[in-house]
Amino acid sequence: MSTATTEARALDHGLPPARYARGWHCLGLADTFRDGKPHRVEAFERKLVVWADSEGKLNALDGYCRHMGGDLTQGEVKGDQIACPFHDWRWGGDGKCKEIPYARRVPMRARTVRFETAERNGQLFIWHDPEGSAADLDILPPEIPDVLTDAYTPWSWHTKEINGSHCRELIDNVADMAHFYYVHFAFPTSFRNVFEGHTATQYMSSKGRPDMGSGGYGDENSTLKSVATYYGPAYMINWLEVDYKGYVTEVILINCHLPTSQSSFTLQYGIAVKKPEGLDEKTVNYIAERYTESFGTGFLQDVAIWENKAPVQNPLLCEEDGPVYQLRRWYEQFYVDQAEIKPEMVDRFEFEVDTTKANEYWQAEVAENLRRRAEEGSTADAEAAATADA
Amino acid sequence: MGAFTPTRQETIEDQKLYLDGRLREIACLDCLAKVKVKKNSEHHTAVQWSDEALGHCTEFARLSGQPGGRPVYESCPRLMASIDRAVTEGELEVGAEDGY
Ligand code: FES
Ligand SMILES: [Fe+2]
Repeated sequence: MSTATTEARALDHGLPPARYARGWHCLGLADTFRDGKPHRVEAFERKLVVWADSEGKLNALDGYCRHMGGDLTQGEVKGDQIACPFHDWRWGGDGKCKEIPYARRVPMRARTVRFETAERNGQLFIWHDPEGSAADLDILPPEIPDVLTDAYTPWSWHTKEINGSHCRELIDNVADMAHFYYVHFAFPTSFRNVFEGHTATQYMSSKGRPDMGSGGYGDENSTLKSVATYYGPAYMINWLEVDYKGYVTEVILINCHLPTSQSSFTLQYGIAVKKPEGLDEKTVNYIAERYTESFGTGFLQDVAIWENKAPVQNPLLCEEDGPVYQLRRWYEQFYVDQAEIKPEMVDRFEFEVDTTKANEYWQAEVAENLRRRAEEGSTADAEAAATADA
Repeated sequence: MGAFTPTRQETIEDQKLYLDGRLREIACLDCLAKVKVKKNSEHHTAVQWSDEALGHCTEFARLSGQPGGRPVYESCPRLMASIDRAVTEGELEVGAEDGY
């Protein structure tokens, strides 16, 4: 290896994009919006109002009334419409003002920004496109078989505001093999990415680190098989098979987000556990809660990194790293006009990470940590014994 | 001109290096598909498909005919064998250069 001096490398922070991604964005569990009240959702540097009409269909409009700017999220649902708290203009789910009770007629131009809605897996989605295209139903995330039936626990759904980071930090995780060891305390034993069309997938097998106790991705007694696919820019389904001492549980983890500004986003995650046969309801719920807790911890581990790191447009990679440049190239398709999507952004790309060297090193490091701990433990024991003797 | 705009010329060079550096064209021995491949080690493989190559792959076409369609995670076993063969024949060099 040459030891020639090279120049110090500069970090290119880059400039954030001037727009928000095109695609389906999940707002949360659909039923939580069906309480007859208007709901406020922050997204794309806007405030949106979401409500259910008399048939239960969910609608999403820009949150500010086009009359005098009243806040529709503080209005009232009247029939199928959302009524503004300021002068009672009634807005329909199609974005048109349907009625102004005190007026002879409604101005024809009374139309506001609306977002097309769809439901999948009990969750509400809206279509966002700065170009204003019609919603593309073909690329809605897939239905997950049986997930809303008694075969699974109901979604356990959680929301977390992330400040100071662009949501691309979250996407980068898809290709980041090594952070699973350092941040999530798991050994990735195999790691593979496939990007194709509007999907990006990570395939990972991992086992927990015995020197860390239970963290986000399980302890030493558990191995994990994980398939995690982004359907579009903001919604990931993660199919997990957790083998805990030979006892296998299937878990579905949803990881989705809503950008709120170019340096903040709302992270949402939901968990459903396939009910193991022959277990009573109480035990099943307990298992589901434990997984929710541990994956929740997993996200917090990432958040601690994001909150303190710098944005990097020019990551410096080693051979063991995943294909972060190719992942970002894939992600960029959602930030350009549809006519500007380049073939390489959507062309199939496969990448198998070589985890051999990493695992050799990590095994040794963990062994050393355990040895040191045992030694400290016995010294502490001896000291305790000495103190007790004195 | 990307959505996430680099502010340094060197970043454009880095993007070229990591995205296109050392990619070799490999032809499938069983169909007309030609893909670009890089192998940093025996276990590592990067495969860049094009729309055209995907259209040629007979194995993918067969999988697409299945109910539920082609599972996206599946590699084409014939192409993978062709890549291994290219390595044995010395057409595809295995090894990384300074991390790319
Ligand atoms: S501002 Fe909404 S009705 Fe006047
Ligand atoms: Fe992570």
